[in-house]
Amino acid sequence: MRKADAICALIILAIGILVLCEAARLGIFGWSTSGPEPGMYIFLLGMGVSVGSLVVLGQVFVEWRKAVPVKPFIRPGGLRPVLYVAVPAAMMVLLTEFIGLYIAAGLYLAVYMRWIGKHKWITVAAVSILLPLVSYFIFDRIFLIPLPKGRFEDLLTF
Amino acid sequence: MEAVYNLLIGLQTALSPFNLTVLVAGLFVGTFVGVLPGLGGANGVAILIPVTFRLPPTSAVILLAAIYWGALFGGVITSILFNIPGEPWSVATCFDGYPMAKKGKACEALTTAFCSHFFGAMVATLILTFAAPIVAEFTLMFGPPETFAVMMLTFSALVSLGGMSPVKSVVSTLLGFIMAAVGIDIVTGRLRLTFGSTELMGGFSFIVAVIGLFGLGEVFMTVEEGLRLEGVSVRMGVRTVFQTMAQLPRFWRTYIRGALIGCWMGIKPGGATPASFMSYGFAKQFSKNPEEFGTGTIEGVIAPEVAAHAAGVSATLPMITLGIPGSPTMAVILGGLMMWGLQPGPMLFKENPEFVWGLIGSIWVANAIGVVMVLCFVPFFASILRAPFSILMPSIVFVCAIGAYAVNNRMIDIWYMILFGFVGMAFKKLDYPIAPMVLALVLGDMAESAMRQSLVMSQGSPLIFFNRPIAGIVNGLAVLFFFWPLVTVLRDRIRKKLRAPVDA
Repeated sequence: MRKADAICALIILAIGILVLCEAARLGIFGWSTSGPEPGMYIFLLGMGVSVGSLVVLGQVFVEWRKAVPVKPFIRPGGLRPVLYVAVPAAMMVLLTEFIGLYIAAGLYLAVYMRWIGKHKWITVAAVSILLPLVSYFIFDRIFLIPLPKGRFEDLLTF
Repeated sequence: MEAVYNLLIGLQTALSPFNLTVLVAGLFVGTFVGVLPGLGGANGVAILIPVTFRLPPTSAVILLAAIYWGALFGGVITSILFNIPGEPWSVATCFDGYPMAKKGKACEALTTAFCSHFFGAMVATLILTFAAPIVAEFTLMFGPPETFAVMMLTFSALVSLGGMSPVKSVVSTLLGFIMAAVGIDIVTGRLRLTFGSTELMGGFSFIVAVIGLFGLGEVFMTVEEGLRLEGVSVRMGVRTVFQTMAQLPRFWRTYIRGALIGCWMGIKPGGATPASFMSYGFAKQFSKNPEEFGTGTIEGVIAPEVAAHAAGVSATLPMITLGIPGSPTMAVILGGLMMWGLQPGPMLFKENPEFVWGLIGSIWVANAIGVVMVLCFVPFFASILRAPFSILMPSIVFVCAIGAYAVNNRMIDIWYMILFGFVGMAFKKLDYPIAPMVLALVLGDMAESAMRQSLVMSQGSPLIFFNRPIAGIVNGLAVLFFFWPLVTVLRDRIRKKLRAPVDA
């Protein structure tokens, strides 16, 4: 937990410094034709975030010196189920670029339900076909919100 | 009297057949998402914002608000039957609601909770109906410095209520503002924080952030902790429902106390959660048999429910009069308002009265219909949570992906959503509050332009935030709130020091 806290604070510090650099590029102090220089506002934000993350780092360090007991960041054995969700979800997004969201989602549902949920094939088929189909009618047909269809664009929009 | 007349017009708007259909649909969807893990009110509203572009603004806001009220009802079901508080302000409801359900009095607990919910919402709506026009009239005097001051007050209130670490609340808020700043400078039109990438030019959408942080983050948390649902099954008997209702007026003191606490706390941002705990605490203190609290007493269900929902409704007051959302869900609705081209704030009352009064009217109607609806369909909604998690979970991810994509029709947003999912999980574990970040992301542009306009007005002197009467008072309060955690720490230290010699 402490290590995660420190890493997180370091990432935030990096973001803060990045923002500060950008502020410097846009100009921080002084007065332009449209009021304060454009970098002034983000300079304040970047400064706040950097200082804040340094304080958090300091707090972590103090806790570490005092050896305050903490819980682990990820429960033992907890990482695996998270990855089981996240990796297929990322695969789904990747596939969406090629075959569209509906079919990618159908595959994702099927894969997850069959291999992780260990459901019967009939349930798997029913959910992974019906859910995308229903969403297609709700979003594409009723509310006219086109969702990505990849290569199947021509087949589905008629 | 004008308010009554306006309210009647609002009710007429809300009761038109089309809006009524929208409202019932919204309530249903809302209860549904409120029950599902990983899809709270904020998320449900965020996912459906693209859908609202096809509706007239009044119907759109009625839909979103109905989802919000529905999600609050859904949260009641999960906290009483499954001991899972869907939202932080339902935590206190679990204390007595779940033990009651376990004793076989689930029907009584649910009826009590829904009726308390209804009562709290009604009192708050009553106050809203009469107070909102007055506050709006007052806020018409606000210029940029005052607007900025009110925002500062909002965020400092969030920091002081925020939770474990005030520093982390500040960092989280500022990160939200930074994300809002990515893209094009609103005054000069120059690109900023894009680092030469065209993907970043469009900035971050708050909808995507909400879906990722609240939705996926919650899903990740749930699978990591290994979800075990131990629900109590429920049978709703018509007779039990009416018998319970007949009992409730006996607790009128708890009702009125809770509603007032809720209305008062709800005006401040993030007020619903402390309101529910405060009301529970007071009810316990004033009760004749405080030892029964926590074991499943009916008063322990009434108190937090009344307060939380009075607070939930009275959070609408600052939103429609000042443009300041009191909760993440309200922030998303406010973002929607801006996307429909409406400017939240006092001018809303002048320029779009049918919109504001339609919204207020719909709160009355939605809560009345909502109570009846959830009472009838509780077993159905409870059965959703009994569906296997390995079916629910990928479906939730799929629906979240639709919502994230549909905002701007950009693929990159789905990737951002997954990224925000991990951020949300890390932030929750490390005690960085998420709500201020979302609020900052929604309000970022407004806060920035208020600040820069004020500085233009004063030719660069930051004193403008303090030497105008209203802005000065509000900013002073903001500073006080902001440093309040520090004050309490110092006070405790001084007390300890004073006590130390005595101990020695």
